[in-house]
Amino acid sequence: MENPTFLESLDPEMMEPIFSRRDAIRQGASASSKVMAMLALGSIPIALGALAQDVYGQTPADVVDVLKFALTLEYLESDFYTRGVAAAGLIPSSDLTLFTNIRNHENTHVATIRGLITAKGSTPQDKPTFDYTAKGNIPGFNFSAGQYATFQVIAHAFEDTGVRAFKGQAGRLINDKAILTAALTIHSVEARHASEIRRLRGKKPVITGNSRDDLPAFTQGIYDGEDNVVQAGLDLTALGTGNGGVGAVTEAYDEPLTQAQVLAIVGPFLA
Amino acid sequence: MARKTELMTVSSAAQLWEKSTRRDFMRLMGIGGAVVLLPSVLTSCDSGGTPVAPGGSTGPATGPGTGSTVTIDFAKGDVAVLQFAYALEQLEADFYIKVQNGFANSGLSASEQSLFADIRNHEVIHRESLKTILGASNGFTITPVYNGVNFSNRDSILATSKAFEDLGVSAYNGAAQYLTSTANLLVAGKIVSVEARHASAIADLISPKTTLFSLTPFDDAFSPQKVAGIAQGFITEKLAFAGSAPAFVQGPNNNG
Repeated sequence: MENPTFLESLDPEMMEPIFSRRDAIRQGASASSKVMAMLALGSIPIALGALAQDVYGQTPADVVDVLKFALTLEYLESDFYTRGVAAAGLIPSSDLTLFTNIRNHENTHVATIRGLITAKGSTPQDKPTFDYTAKGNIPGFNFSAGQYATFQVIAHAFEDTGVRAFKGQAGRLINDKAILTAALTIHSVEARHASEIRRLRGKKPVITGNSRDDLPAFTQGIYDGEDNVVQAGLDLTALGTGNGGVGAVTEAYDEPLTQAQVLAIVGPFLA
Repeated sequence: MARKTELMTVSSAAQLWEKSTRRDFMRLMGIGGAVVLLPSVLTSCDSGGTPVAPGGSTGPATGPGTGSTVTIDFAKGDVAVLQFAYALEQLEADFYIKVQNGFANSGLSASEQSLFADIRNHEVIHRESLKTILGASNGFTITPVYNGVNFSNRDSILATSKAFEDLGVSAYNGAAQYLTSTANLLVAGKIVSVEARHASAIADLISPKTTLFSLTPFDDAFSPQKVAGIAQGFITEKLAFAGSAPAFVQGPNNNG
């Protein structure tokens, strides 16, 4: 195997924790030559994208910051599903397999991201204490028997949030290919979870416009901006003609959220 | 239609000899699952000449990889990655258009047809948007071929759909590392999660409320070369790569 394995590829970062200024300049220069090549090839959106990269300087501190942010979200999901699966009489036996599967994945994500933070020379934060009433927005929810519908609503909200949250951080990992790839392979798993739970609830697997479907109003931030129709600088509205309309255009692309937007959504769940 | 069939997909003859494939095979047989051999297995077993299409095929007489060469040149940087994505989106869009055209005899229920119509729209929009982003000078057309796919058989449609969606997820997850622009990376990220939503939904039609919708804590990340090797079984043109690319960095599943 000439290609580095996932863990092997982390080693250079551990051996050389400081992202040197010389490397940063070299990467900038490299991107600039790509900009010229792309302009020569006549693709303006791609060239603009490369310009954005030119002024974007990631450092190992960015990577650790992203990992810690991701860990907070994974702690939330892991704790939520662990409590849900363990709660007597909450999840019907017909649905226990799928929720146990999701719980297992979230637990693995927590363990893996903690390991990556450590591998980057930092210390993973402890699991926060969570408030699943979201400061009273979900009155009385405490994983009791009979609260399964509410449990599904919260799962629906968390998974759609997770997809957007990881997507919003990908750009900050662009210079760390191992972490980027790991994050993307978690990102798409969150999307699989979101699809499964949405369908379990009788909803489409994808997000249409900025609709929160039947979720409570306080979750609207999870869906704001999902009605975007501009991709790579191009307005795609017209592509909906004959292909499901503008709704399908918004469904075809999931949108990112910034850390601040995600923390505003997750904030009520932090005790 | 209460069905609980788990599926595994084998895309190359060599894969049949891999330990993990045999393990999955034995596990599936133990729980009453089904194994799908993608056309690439059949063509790779062929000793030359026109691949034999199993029953129900609507494929033309031209086999995978027998047409003109489509070269993905890594020297083009991000353009090469987007071209690669464009080839896959052309394949997916074409497939779902054919599924939709055959709804009447597909065996898909009304709600399943509704889902497939949505997926068809998304894939056409992906295809058309990548076409626009790339521009005419970087565009090309691939000609899909579906030897071994039966568009009048629900199981065949679902298995092929799931294989395409899983491949798409693995492809974007693995190709993202070759993008140098955060803007292009974001576009790829916006598409890949929709592909993952599709993959999950189709898996849930095949085997509802099991673990099939998401079998592992990490999705696969495949190198472009590995993806092309699988996709080639459905594409008449010969897929080729040129230019040097950095060594592929594996994802957590270490199978790309």
